[in-house]
Amino acid sequence: MEDFSFPILSIIIFLPLIGALVVLFTKPDQSKPAYGIGITSSALSLLSAILLWIRGVEGSFSQVEELTWIPSLGAAYRVGVDGISFPLVLLTTLLFLTSLIFSTKIKEKAQTYVALVLLLETACLGVFLSLDLLLFYVFFEITLVGMYFIIAGWGHEHAKKAALTFFIYTLVGSLFLLLALLSLYLHADPHTFDMREFIAAPVLKGLAAALTFWGFFLAFAIKTPLFPFHTWLPTAHTEAPAPGSAILAGVLLKLGAYGFIRFALQMMPEAFREFAPFVMVIAVISALYGAFVALAQTDIKRMVAYTSVNHMGYLVFGVAVAAVAGNTARTQALDGAVLQMVSHGVVTGALFLLVGSLQDRVQTREMANISGLLHTAPVLGGLFILASFASLGLPGLAHFPAEFQIFLGGFSVYPVAVGFIVIGLLITSGLYLRAIQKVFMGKKPEGLTSRDDLHAYELWALIPLILSILTLGLFPEILLSVIHETTKMLGI
Amino acid sequence: MSQMARDLILIMPQIIVLLTAVVALIWEMFRKPLGSLLALAIGMLAAAGLSISRLGLDTTAFSQTFRIDVLNHWSVIILCPASVLFALLARRELRGTDREGTVYSLLGFSTLGSLLLAGSGDVMFIVLGILMNSLSGFALAAYPKTDKATEGAMKYFVYGSVTGALMIFGLTYWVGISGSTLLSALNDSTLPPLPMIFGLVTLVVGISYAASIFPFHFWTPDTFEGAPVSIAAFLSVIPKIGAIYALAQVAREIPTELLDWPLMLAILAVLSMTFGNVVALWQQNIIRLLAYSTVAQAGYFLLGVVAMQQSSLAEQSLVIFGIAYAVMNTGAFAIVLANGNKMEDFKGVGKSSPWTGVAMTIFLFSLVGIPPLAGFAGKFLLFGAAIDSQFTWLAIAAILNSVISLTVYLRIIVPMYFQQDASDKHTNSRLVSFVWLCCLFFTVAVGLGMQFFL
Repeated sequence: MEDFSFPILSIIIFLPLIGALVVLFTKPDQSKPAYGIGITSSALSLLSAILLWIRGVEGSFSQVEELTWIPSLGAAYRVGVDGISFPLVLLTTLLFLTSLIFSTKIKEKAQTYVALVLLLETACLGVFLSLDLLLFYVFFEITLVGMYFIIAGWGHEHAKKAALTFFIYTLVGSLFLLLALLSLYLHADPHTFDMREFIAAPVLKGLAAALTFWGFFLAFAIKTPLFPFHTWLPTAHTEAPAPGSAILAGVLLKLGAYGFIRFALQMMPEAFREFAPFVMVIAVISALYGAFVALAQTDIKRMVAYTSVNHMGYLVFGVAVAAVAGNTARTQALDGAVLQMVSHGVVTGALFLLVGSLQDRVQTREMANISGLLHTAPVLGGLFILASFASLGLPGLAHFPAEFQIFLGGFSVYPVAVGFIVIGLLITSGLYLRAIQKVFMGKKPEGLTSRDDLHAYELWALIPLILSILTLGLFPEILLSVIHETTKMLGI
Repeated sequence: MSQMARDLILIMPQIIVLLTAVVALIWEMFRKPLGSLLALAIGMLAAAGLSISRLGLDTTAFSQTFRIDVLNHWSVIILCPASVLFALLARRELRGTDREGTVYSLLGFSTLGSLLLAGSGDVMFIVLGILMNSLSGFALAAYPKTDKATEGAMKYFVYGSVTGALMIFGLTYWVGISGSTLLSALNDSTLPPLPMIFGLVTLVVGISYAASIFPFHFWTPDTFEGAPVSIAAFLSVIPKIGAIYALAQVAREIPTELLDWPLMLAILAVLSMTFGNVVALWQQNIIRLLAYSTVAQAGYFLLGVVAMQQSSLAEQSLVIFGIAYAVMNTGAFAIVLANGNKMEDFKGVGKSSPWTGVAMTIFLFSLVGIPPLAGFAGKFLLFGAAIDSQFTWLAIAAILNSVISLTVYLRIIVPMYFQQDASDKHTNSRLVSFVWLCCLFFTVAVGLGMQFFL
């Protein structure tokens, strides 16, 4: 119970929730106060996260807060931060803030919407900061409920079906997570839910370890998602409202990736090492499959959605490499994987918001029906081009340092796999260039003028993300130094 | 203090419940239904209070025939206040009808039956409990004197008498081989296995009927549909928890070397969960949907019974899931009582009365087992108990069933929020609102503060 005087982690986690409760007491017919409160509370949460950074994030879990909750089961309210969770906290608070700013045009049932988004933010932050298996699971499940209502309530044409698919698929995943957590709990002696103990001394061996590992794998592969568990993702992304898609891709997918590192890698390294080749094959297939299917899309939002499958493939590949590689390569791959989580969050978040803006202007997502947008919306076009270059891994932009490290780490262990996976990069370059050419080049569209370019609220939402993309690309060391503090300590 | 006086003091909560039911009946003789209701409320809360003060006491009364243990204490603490809630619902629904007071009195007697079941250390208490439970249940189900209610009560009665007779017949084998009516006499691995199996099978039949476990649940949907909503709610909670706790008391004693009863119950659990959830998928009437959902939930309860001898979590899981099940199920039924029992009645409720919508959503999510609600706390311990006793496959089956049940309950949640046209005919009754507010409080509180209930 160190430093309990200023519980900054709890403040970060619960500020949005407090905001959500306050929002419920505003007048239901006005959207302005709701957004005001929503944006304020998530901005405060971001500020607290920055404050946390200034106070210093150490390699091992720091700023730990502990409160008894269910002592007879060994569960407690335990939160703490390290170099792996901190970048994700930063990402979450940033992306929720910008998504809320971008949402201000949603006027229908704004009050409920803002409350749900804030609830979701608390849940996501809780997942990343939990040091208790039970607490982790509770937050993990609340994200499902929040996202379900956001997709179903404010999505496009087939929102209800997409929301149901999302909910059921990921509930299956999280229930297997529950089984795996229970298995960890029951094998610990004495029974405990304290994650630090499982990380310090992995408890499982033999068959139990194998089964538990695959439980974790199933849960996180669905959440991430990896091929062949990705089928919920394209519909959920396409039907969700633009800020919802940004959050879904930017933050919720990271819950799966984070789980791979925190549970599969840190708590059962032996089992992961044993099964790493399988995981790697699935990751490589995901990367290639995601790229190829994205190439086949005519709907620009679906295209962006499938590139997530591709990028998550790289990410999990990096984690799998870390499970088997030697010291240097492991740190490289893991550094890259964690950085990729953040960079994918900001890049894909920005892309989804931009696609949302685009859809508002041309009322379609079919790339064949759009052309020449660069004439009437140069800012939107310019930002989209920048973000897609980042997504395809151009040096100097966010993805490059992350992917480079993953490939570098992987090359020392599985050069053939890296050879395959790099093909994904090529295809994504092709598909983005084609999309840019179709949508933004060509002859001037009718009925649109340059006044239809991005509005102020959209710029306010996008500029922080674009700046982050540039910063991560040019000065990755800012975050890498934090990440590295932790990854170098993992003597797996 | 003589042995007799000590025993009587030990079963004081049960005696208070008996007196409460009798007093309620006396008020009915004066045709003062409010007096009956008040007597029920005071008596039941007193019994529950007494049991709370006794938590931790673990002994037996009347030469081991009645157990004063965790399950007994908690059955009083859960069921007595719950019966008051049902009486309040019945007050809203049946107010002014003939012999309203008898309903309250019968609620008391039936609850007493469940309490005897939960504490039984002797086959005679099981028989007595099941009889008290179901005899009062028949009368309650048939109360409205409509064709549907009569039909439902008839089904309840016919099933009840057949399964009850079968159970009593089978239990004579146990008494025959062990030479005693005590359950603890069965804990002897030298007993001949065949009569043992026969007794257990028939006992499971009798219990499954009371707890509506597949395949002995056949009366459930029809009886629930015919009976008043408040009575359906009552039948879904009180007899079920009593019966399951009785089964847990038995499960403690049967040696597993003699027969593999955990496997038998595990199979029954899977069937009950799967059947209940799958059939609930295409019900159009919400009462019928909830009826099948109670069949499914009974299956989850069995996970705790299966683990009874092998996991320290088993007893806790039965207690927590018992509380959770009582509050979330009662809450859902209360809102159905206020809103109407057809799917259409729930269209747009989320908009027209947001609090009702949120409460119903919370009850249904709790039934699915989504944290941090009470249903999650219960299921979490149940799964843990199952895994702890090497029944991982059972936990996986239960988990897959939770997913099916999500689709079931979303069928109510979706129209509340995503469909227009609220008929807006729901009755706003303070009594009903009070009931579901209580349930809502505990559904959230038990989930977050599980520690206080362990």
